[in-house]
Amino acid sequence: MREFPRPFNRPALPGATDLTRRVLLAGTGGGALSLLLAACGAGGGAPLTGADSGAPQAGAGANAAASAPPRRGGTLRAGSPPPPTAVDPVTMYDGSAIAIVQLVADYLIWLDRDFTLKPRLAEKWESEDGGKRWVFTLRKGVTFSDGTPLDAEIVKASFDRLLDPKSKSAALSAFDTVLAKGGVGVRDAATVVFTLERAFSDFPYLVSAGNYNAVILKKDYAGDFTKKPIGTGPFLLESYDASSGATFTRNPKYWEPGKPYLDGVKITFYADDQADLLALQSGEIDAQILSRPQLVGPLKGLGDITVDQVQGTGLTAFTLRTDRPPFDRKEARQAVAYALDRPGVNATIYDGIGALGNDHLFAPLFPAAPDGIAQRAKDPAKVAELLGGQPLKFTLTYDPPSKDYALTVQNQLKQAGIQVELDQRTSADFYGGDQEKDTPWLFSTANLVGWAGRATPSQFIIPMVKGGGVWNGSKYANPALDAAADAYDAAQTPGERAAQAEIIAKALHEDIPVIVAVWSGTVRAYNGRKFTGIQAHPSSYVDFSSVSQVV
Amino acid sequence: MRFLLRRLVAVPLTLLGVSVLVFVTTELVPGDVARTILGREASAESVARLRSQLGLDAPLPERYADWLGGFLTGRWGESYTLGVPVRDLVLDRLAASMLLAALAFALLVPVAVGLGLVAGVNHDRPLDRLVSVSGLALGATPEFVTGVVLLVVFAVRLRWFPSSAQAPDGSSLLVRLGHLALPALSLVLLCTGYVARHVRAGAVVAIESAYAGAAELRGLTRWQVVRRHVLRNSTIAATSALGVQLQFLLGGLVTVELLFNHPGIGALLLSSAVDKDLPTLQATAMVLGLLYMVIVLAADVAYRVLDPRIRLGAAS
Repeated sequence: MREFPRPFNRPALPGATDLTRRVLLAGTGGGALSLLLAACGAGGGAPLTGADSGAPQAGAGANAAASAPPRRGGTLRAGSPPPPTAVDPVTMYDGSAIAIVQLVADYLIWLDRDFTLKPRLAEKWESEDGGKRWVFTLRKGVTFSDGTPLDAEIVKASFDRLLDPKSKSAALSAFDTVLAKGGVGVRDAATVVFTLERAFSDFPYLVSAGNYNAVILKKDYAGDFTKKPIGTGPFLLESYDASSGATFTRNPKYWEPGKPYLDGVKITFYADDQADLLALQSGEIDAQILSRPQLVGPLKGLGDITVDQVQGTGLTAFTLRTDRPPFDRKEARQAVAYALDRPGVNATIYDGIGALGNDHLFAPLFPAAPDGIAQRAKDPAKVAELLGGQPLKFTLTYDPPSKDYALTVQNQLKQAGIQVELDQRTSADFYGGDQEKDTPWLFSTANLVGWAGRATPSQFIIPMVKGGGVWNGSKYANPALDAAADAYDAAQTPGERAAQAEIIAKALHEDIPVIVAVWSGTVRAYNGRKFTGIQAHPSSYVDFSSVSQVV
Repeated sequence: MRFLLRRLVAVPLTLLGVSVLVFVTTELVPGDVARTILGREASAESVARLRSQLGLDAPLPERYADWLGGFLTGRWGESYTLGVPVRDLVLDRLAASMLLAALAFALLVPVAVGLGLVAGVNHDRPLDRLVSVSGLALGATPEFVTGVVLLVVFAVRLRWFPSSAQAPDGSSLLVRLGHLALPALSLVLLCTGYVARHVRAGAVVAIESAYAGAAELRGLTRWQVVRRHVLRNSTIAATSALGVQLQFLLGGLVTVELLFNHPGIGALLLSSAVDKDLPTLQATAMVLGLLYMVIVLAADVAYRVLDPRIRLGAAS
């Protein structure tokens, strides 16, 4: 099923948005279908390789398109899963709803595909008071689609809405311990001031698209986005049907001159991945919002299909309870980590486009990722030494989107003499229950949880492995790591940050409360003969303002 | 007449049973619609607040009574997850399903009856075996497989038909039917064997009957006997089978609906069950239950109309 950057929110990447029925047919032949389609691919041409280059794996048309000047006009037809809930920017968490909102509304800052921050409604930002206060200067001349000019009061109202303890937004947890209600002020009509509860050097990420609920909405927004879709984004939502899709037209009041190039966008909902892919293959749609690497991988370079890919910061966390047998012994956790064939996991689950993980929570994309820790690799001798002749057997709990991952792990560990009993639950069961005492994803002995990518490593570290963290499923407690995590957030120089990052990463690499075998990559498939400017994004976000038809 | 009255009285009682069953079983299934709406990472406080707003913390009998009163008076409520009126949602999906079912049924009846007759008339000959074995094989092939093959061949490779069952807004009926062609064909392939077997069985009995033999002795040709005597008797035998297939076509098409992106009521039933979207699930179950009962009733009535022996038996 069923994912991304939401500081502390539910996955919005394909495959992990899965309290949905999209998983129903998962495993009924998705990979085989892709291969069948690849074998039937119109136009021929051998599949390209070199999946980790980050460059589009293009059909012939895309090469010609790359150098062509943008052309104004045309409608992009895209496919996407139906949002499982009403589209509301404040509470949304799935990739389709996020895409719909991102076409219509905008953020202070955009999170680009290389994880740099790009000014949008804010032109610049700077910190004061040692990182405890952040001042944002708004872009001039921006108006909402109904003509209302953007000002600091509107921005303040948007964040006050998210910070209201009664808000149902998961953004509340993103701002937890960093920014509280009352922390947003207005210095003048174009200047917003955020006063934090503690120094947080990555704060701009929390008001960027990386915290995807943080779109700027009008003061009077009342939760009826699809009925009154007013924003400052490149497109206007013309119609929305929860069963079939949405149509958009160009926003004539968009703040960036000349953009967007497209006249409009039409999104059709496909409840099944295969149907979405077949629609792309048959030319009924021009692009996918959420592509799955396993499905589109075999289609790279075939016919009209272009597949863009990019590194990501999402992961499947293989969490081990450190407070109960058998994983209360560090050696048992290490044995499992050394038994895994990480390149094999990458090839099986991510079509080889992911990056190898090293059992800490700094993805290679994060600027502070330490590079001095040797990459852990499969080592059967080490496994035998760590187990010391003792058998290791445990139950692995997961929900349907992690099924392939679970089977891969089971098979790999079996080869190392470790027995894994699989315990698949429905998503509703896996994520249901009480998060304080019995929900399976936080209380089983070992489990797999799909995590959408995050904009900053702290968004993993604080909830997942800090003592008492809200999603600390391993029940890991390490005061030294907790102190380093606080120091990392408050660090004022890259050197300080790197030093703290190394402490955190080494602790996790050694103690292994969570096995991180691979960091996900993401892909986006589209018709390269017809459109250019479509890109994959680590969080599967959409920015179609630069998309144009191929001349 | 008494038969009809008995059935008509049973319909609302059965629906009431369906509604209780759905309410209770949904309660037993793990999961929480408030968690589904807000996502796994929302705080426990937010989830509890939403549960309260939705009235989910009220006792089950109270919620059931509220829902039933609303349903009976036309207030079907809003979908918990999608935030749209349930009545519009269910009726829109039902209309889409009915259109596809009607097209598939219109293709199925002549094809299945024709093939069944051909097999029956040629029973124990190669043509009979070909029809029977093909029908069995197609009926046993999951619709996912036949659907994918149809899509790959006719939508992706040849591009004769669209891959999606959804026609653009404002499309003509012809265009809409074109979009429904592949899913309908997929269903016909799936259902033909089952119906044809029943027709064949009826045809074999009819063709070997004394009255058919007598008709041939009177000088009627083989095909005249088939047309005048065998066809009607074979169709009687297939009436129940056709009723069962029509029920399936209206509500059991989840795989076909997903594969061909057809926004039908089967997928709605599934999604509302998975998400524990109770207002939608209840309304969908009730509407489908009602439809099923109407179809069964219609099949029974048709059976009695077509076969006087049943009527006489009932009268005696």
